[in-house]
Amino acid sequence: MHDLSYIVTGYTLTAVAIGGYRWRLAVRARRATELVRAAAGRRAAAAGRQR
Amino acid sequence: MKLLQTALAKAGSRGAQRVLGWATVAGLAATGVFALFVVPPDASQGDVQRLMYVHVPAAWLAFASFGVVFLASVAYLRTKRTRWDRVAVSSAEIGVLFCTLTIVLGSLWGRPVWGTWWTWDPRLTTTAVLLLIYVGYLTLRRVADSPTRRAHWSAVLGVVGFVDVPITHMSVVWWRSLHQQATVLRPGSPTIAPSMLATLLFALLAFSLAYGYLMAVRMRVGRMEDRAASTVVSLPAPRARAPRPVATAAAPGGSGDHA
Repeated sequence: MHDLSYIVTGYTLTAVAIGGYRWRLAVRARRATELVRAAAGRRAAAAGRQR
Repeated sequence: MKLLQTALAKAGSRGAQRVLGWATVAGLAATGVFALFVVPPDASQGDVQRLMYVHVPAAWLAFASFGVVFLASVAYLRTKRTRWDRVAVSSAEIGVLFCTLTIVLGSLWGRPVWGTWWTWDPRLTTTAVLLLIYVGYLTLRRVADSPTRRAHWSAVLGVVGFVDVPITHMSVVWWRSLHQQATVLRPGSPTIAPSMLATLLFALLAFSLAYGYLMAVRMRVGRMEDRAASTVVSLPAPRARAPRPVATAAAPGGSGDHA
């Protein structure tokens, strides 16, 4: 491998790692929001059945 | 500790996070430009030495992240406040990210300079142990059965595991090592050219911004996940269904517990 390929690989991996973790956090945030929303819906449906 | 608390509170707002996010992108992009195109190559190693501008800040930030895990773990054990547990786990996740990057980037640098991707050198070995400790920390959190127990045991590991950080830093001094000695964090003045030092310090600033930004986002996600978990737990039980038929005969060679 040429020196340049090590450098390009290193800098690319750094950007991918930091960007990838940020993207993963966005996915986790969206899932948590959906879960809370779905739970609120189920609670409302349960309250409706009891009435 | 008060400083950490204030910094976390300030970085908590969405507006501050957005500013921090763009500052991080600008900082990392500028680091790339300085490191790849502005600063001269090393006299003996040539261009491949440019990996230093990402390898060294990643290592420092990994140490700093585990330092925050240590402080937050001590604070949790003293106060039992969930917030400190969230700070600790957030910092541990980011620390694992930076520690993995340190090892991978070091390996990429080591191949052309040392002629090998990996060697059981004291610095490399203690860094690998450090990564394993904090991967273990994150794994422990997945297996603990109650939130209180999870927070307590991970705080204990967060305190004990930090012992490896000074050992890793001092490993090149205490033992004969293939890895170079410290050039900046050492007694006396740094043994590095001023332009290289300036670029390295700038890269460190950019990586610190990245840490601050990721920490703020991870804390927010942690709060959301905690809220989601508590919402699901507090839901009314679903209507009962007919029970499934249960097999009575044990399968041959089964591993069930028999009294």
